[in-house]
Amino acid sequence: MFYSPVITNASEAAKSDKLHLFRYVEDPDQVKVATYEQHGGYKAWRKALTGMSPEQVAETVKNAGLRGRGGAGFPTGLKWGFVPKNSPKPRYLVCNADESEPGTCKDRVLMERDPHAVIEGMAIAAYAIGCHVMFIYIRGEFNHSIDRMEAAMREAYAAGHLGKNLYGTGYDLEMIVHTGGGAYICGEETALLNSLEGERGMSRMRPPFPAIEGLYACPTIVNNVETLATVPHIINHGAEWYRKLGTEKSAGTKIFSLSGHVKRPGNYEVELGFNLKKFIYDPAFGNGIIGDKKLKGVIPGGASTPFLTPDMIDVGLDYESLTVKGSMLGSGAVIVFHEQTCIVWVLLKLIHFFHHESCGKCTPCREGTAWLEQIIHRIEAGEGHPGDIEAMDEVCSNILGRTICPLGDAAVMPIQSAIRLYRDEWQYHIDNHRCLVDTRFEFK
Amino acid sequence: MADSTKIETPARTVETVTFTINGRTATVAKGTTVLQAAHGLGITIPSFCWHPKLKPVGACRMCYVEIEKMPKLQVSCATEVTNGMVVFTESDKVKQGRRAIIEFTLLNHPLDCPTCDKGGECDLQNLTFAHGYDDSRFAFQKLRKIEAGVPSTFDDIKIGPEIVLNRNRCILCYKCVRANKEAFGEYDLGAFERGNHTEINAAPGQQVDNPFSGNLVEICPVGALTNTDWRYKIRVWLTDQKASICPFTSSGTNIQFYVERHKNRIFRTTGRRNDAIDDGWLSDVTRYGYQIIQSPDRLKTPLIKKNGKQVPATWDEALAVAAARLTEIRDKKGCVCVGGLASPSLDNASLYTFNKFMRVAMESNNVDYRTEYRRLPSSLDNPYDIAASQAFTIADIDESDVIVVIGSDLVREHPNEYLRVRKAEQFNRSKVFLLNPLSTKPSDVAALELVHKPGAEEIAISAICLAAMESGWASGVNADDLKSKTGFKKAADAAGACGLDLIEIQAVARAIAEGKKITIIAGELVTRSREREAIGAALCNLNRVFGVDGKGQMAILARHANSVGAARLGLTPDLGAGFAGALKSIWGQYPETPPQNTDAMLAAARKEELDAMILVGVNPVMIYPDREFAREALDKLDFLIACDLFETETTQLADVVLPLAGWAEYRGEYFNLEGRLQSAEPGIAPLNEARPAHQILESLAEQCGSPLFAGMDQRNAEMEKILKVDIRRPWPTGLIEVKPQPQETAPERTVALIMGDDPHHSGYLTEKAPSLVGFCGEAYAELSPELAAKLKVGAGDSVRLEAATGKIIVPVRVSEHIDNDVVFVPRNFMAAPVNSLVSRKQRVDWVKISKVSD
Repeated sequence: MFYSPVITNASEAAKSDKLHLFRYVEDPDQVKVATYEQHGGYKAWRKALTGMSPEQVAETVKNAGLRGRGGAGFPTGLKWGFVPKNSPKPRYLVCNADESEPGTCKDRVLMERDPHAVIEGMAIAAYAIGCHVMFIYIRGEFNHSIDRMEAAMREAYAAGHLGKNLYGTGYDLEMIVHTGGGAYICGEETALLNSLEGERGMSRMRPPFPAIEGLYACPTIVNNVETLATVPHIINHGAEWYRKLGTEKSAGTKIFSLSGHVKRPGNYEVELGFNLKKFIYDPAFGNGIIGDKKLKGVIPGGASTPFLTPDMIDVGLDYESLTVKGSMLGSGAVIVFHEQTCIVWVLLKLIHFFHHESCGKCTPCREGTAWLEQIIHRIEAGEGHPGDIEAMDEVCSNILGRTICPLGDAAVMPIQSAIRLYRDEWQYHIDNHRCLVDTRFEFK
Repeated sequence: MADSTKIETPARTVETVTFTINGRTATVAKGTTVLQAAHGLGITIPSFCWHPKLKPVGACRMCYVEIEKMPKLQVSCATEVTNGMVVFTESDKVKQGRRAIIEFTLLNHPLDCPTCDKGGECDLQNLTFAHGYDDSRFAFQKLRKIEAGVPSTFDDIKIGPEIVLNRNRCILCYKCVRANKEAFGEYDLGAFERGNHTEINAAPGQQVDNPFSGNLVEICPVGALTNTDWRYKIRVWLTDQKASICPFTSSGTNIQFYVERHKNRIFRTTGRRNDAIDDGWLSDVTRYGYQIIQSPDRLKTPLIKKNGKQVPATWDEALAVAAARLTEIRDKKGCVCVGGLASPSLDNASLYTFNKFMRVAMESNNVDYRTEYRRLPSSLDNPYDIAASQAFTIADIDESDVIVVIGSDLVREHPNEYLRVRKAEQFNRSKVFLLNPLSTKPSDVAALELVHKPGAEEIAISAICLAAMESGWASGVNADDLKSKTGFKKAADAAGACGLDLIEIQAVARAIAEGKKITIIAGELVTRSREREAIGAALCNLNRVFGVDGKGQMAILARHANSVGAARLGLTPDLGAGFAGALKSIWGQYPETPPQNTDAMLAAARKEELDAMILVGVNPVMIYPDREFAREALDKLDFLIACDLFETETTQLADVVLPLAGWAEYRGEYFNLEGRLQSAEPGIAPLNEARPAHQILESLAEQCGSPLFAGMDQRNAEMEKILKVDIRRPWPTGLIEVKPQPQETAPERTVALIMGDDPHHSGYLTEKAPSLVGFCGEAYAELSPELAAKLKVGAGDSVRLEAATGKIIVPVRVSEHIDNDVVFVPRNFMAAPVNSLVSRKQRVDWVKISKVSD
């Protein structure tokens, strides 16, 4: 039984020799260690621990070109290399499972349906950085994920994949499941570390970066669930195999969470560089817009990325192509809006979220997001003033790049792009006190 | 033991970096932040959340600078200068950035400046004036944080006895929370909620009443935190600032009074940051202590006893009576019959005048300033005074990698040094060891806290020496010699005798042996011990074994504001030939009479061998470690003069009472525990008819027919000569015998009484400061939960403490931080005179404790 039903492309993945993350996610027994082992699980962990040096593991991941799947897209192997080699302090690996970006639900599928893959990836990463205690910080509301991960962890301990003297090598590895307190900001790695330490979840100043001084002021690597779940496959199949997937600079596959006004919302694993238009309209994926309406716009990488208009969607879903179009791959949450959506209303929802989730530490984000919500709320309510758009734009630019952590940027990037791309609609809202589009819509 | 205990000290960087700021090229030490470097160059960068003594947090974003090759504005408080960096602090982009921050900050800030106490000294006002817009584009209702059901004026809530919080004014710089945590180690204040709903508040169910809470108000950049002391009393621009020194701590915390001249009134005290001493932090005792000066209970006129009753008199009358009687007693029987005690919190001029008054005008060697200690050593050449006279530098605590606190309840005795120890641990990862008969702060940052049996200080120290010897860390010390001098054959025996684990003792020994820079602090629990000479001897041995003087500092710290001055100005009875000779050459005369210390004077008075005493700012009945003994002695005197600020148990016994001016009322100089000479300006003119001690003594001497000085110049010149006498004693080169003390066993059903200061009080005067009484207004018995359970008492109950000499009844305070065989009672409250339970003969004061059933 699955806890949360969600459409995936597991059947395609099972047939494909390229797609690997989703190959077994429709198998109800995959959560059991025996089934996972039958499907080739924990082979990579054994191979890494018994046959490779930590440097070789890190080098393999680096050569594979794996980039962080949490949103920033930083090369994973490179990140591992930042851990000081000669530090006498313990090192820590933290798996960031505080998946809270609106539109994103990929990590949850992995944790609920293939938890051992996450554990195996964490173990390999831990070995690569020389860590003996690893944490997974799971979003507090993800009850099912927490259950699944804890059960899987217990099984992994029992099966000898975690614990003392693993596979007779003398290597010890302990795992701790930690649940979050319900704050979006704790998905930001330094806030996550604060929260894990028992402090208030607020971002820290960088430098020092977590790789130098992270959890308990010790070298710490924070990686996303999907990133870590990919690692065993790289170890099994080699860097070359992985490198050939996807595009030249964006290697590998990625899970995209498709939501919004599409007929078939769900999680789909595709190679990076997959065409966005095809992704929305192909029957195997989005299968088109509900009610066969026209497309109005797409947020390609989660709530914090800029919009794409219909003329911009013939683009590859990879880090570089989207940047060219002025947006970002982010966490891979594709949110689709049809023509009858009021952009002001969408932005009100988004800014409400960011205002609510601002941690309150630094001034521009704390005050600015609230101010923006008030302005957009006023426009949406039909009480907009002339000059509101300009004021909003300026507030946005006073936040962008001026905050401690990326939450401030995340809050204003969709607003700025929406102002740029749909300015007439904002203006109409202010001038005529109502939406430009007819938002009455019946589900059929 | 594993090698992991070895301490890594960061190498002192002498590396420098060169950068350009606003077109100027400058070289600074590597690791300096842009903001610090700019301030050093006289370039001001505005900020709200940056504080020189806290870690940068980058919250307010006001300190933006533009750095070449960096596309975004950078916060200068957290950006380190690198080689070749090009910084602009006044570019258009920076100015625009600051304006935006001011605009953001003001969005929800209530513009209630006319009724805000911070007005005139508000960072937000000043920075808005300097960098903000003149208009607001914000057209919405300001967010108001109001507690439902909490009665409040202007949304104020009282979060501690002295602190009022207005959450709407708060601009969330987090300085208060950070200082509380990083500098004071307190967690009674925190941030709640998120986004612009974030608010600072007291931790649930708690009050912000830590002993440093006043600082939170002082560092608040706006009027969010105000203290009840200052609220709605006066506008800051109507006050003058007067630089003064704290009279309650021995470190000489630098303070300033805010004074309204025409009203002759002090309105508050703030810090006057001195990095060598206090880092700008004040304990609450220091901050609110000024209130005692303005207490309505102050003595208003001199009093003369007539027919057994004290009646008000004029100064002329009182001085005439006093002089007549003193001269009579001095001349009648010879000068052995006059004795004098002075407070070590008096200024140099007063102490010196007192010394000369006693020795020249009264021709007596009966001079002392140590009233609260047992069994005083007769001369200065004893191991205790050797250890107490060692050089000590407060600022060096910061840089010590190993800090050992022996016999000192640091936060209660030496708040500044307590914060320094915390700072060393927090910022430099120093290892802190505490060796005390009770659990004390800062136990939360201590690498190891060793709690030994009461009255076993010297054995614990000897155990450390022996452990070092056994592990081969005591090079150059003869093992047999050490064994015979300490009286123990093995470290394990000594450890067992004081109730500690050998492994703990070894850990301390190892840390001291391996430390690169050591600070060892000994405090009042040593000084107040009857066996302080034995403990001093053990400390001398500790120095010899580890060579502490070669790689750090060790001293028994003076407790009072001018203890060092009192010692250097010769206020002890037996000064030795050298010092006495120096005085004789200055004065032309020196009394030949036998020197008597406090103990001897009081004993003589009881035997009616001493006829008169003069007490200056001293209340022996309250502080002498045997209340009845002191009372009887003073009662039997023919003639007693008491100078004090208030009516006390002692002044009630006096024949002449003279109102004394406090430290805030006249100019004075003080030596802090380092021997640093500091000067305090008068805040106000003496209230009522009070006079400074030196003035009283000079008048008295004049009336006695032996004027002391031709003028102030002569006094100062004489003092200068006396201060050239070096009273510092070098550490002994060999081991000293630690005289084995017979272990006192606890009588049946008793606990050891430890008395000291409450963290919000100091001595017996602070009871007159309303703010401090607001924190703690009555004595209490601090018990462990186990002991409380055994006695079947809890909060709200009272216990009776009984000893052979007396009994007191005090309420119970249950604390996790105290051991089962110990009870702590503060000595600051006249209503619960804890010195009635102690005996000058005993080393440990065993008291019977029982529940008071009502």
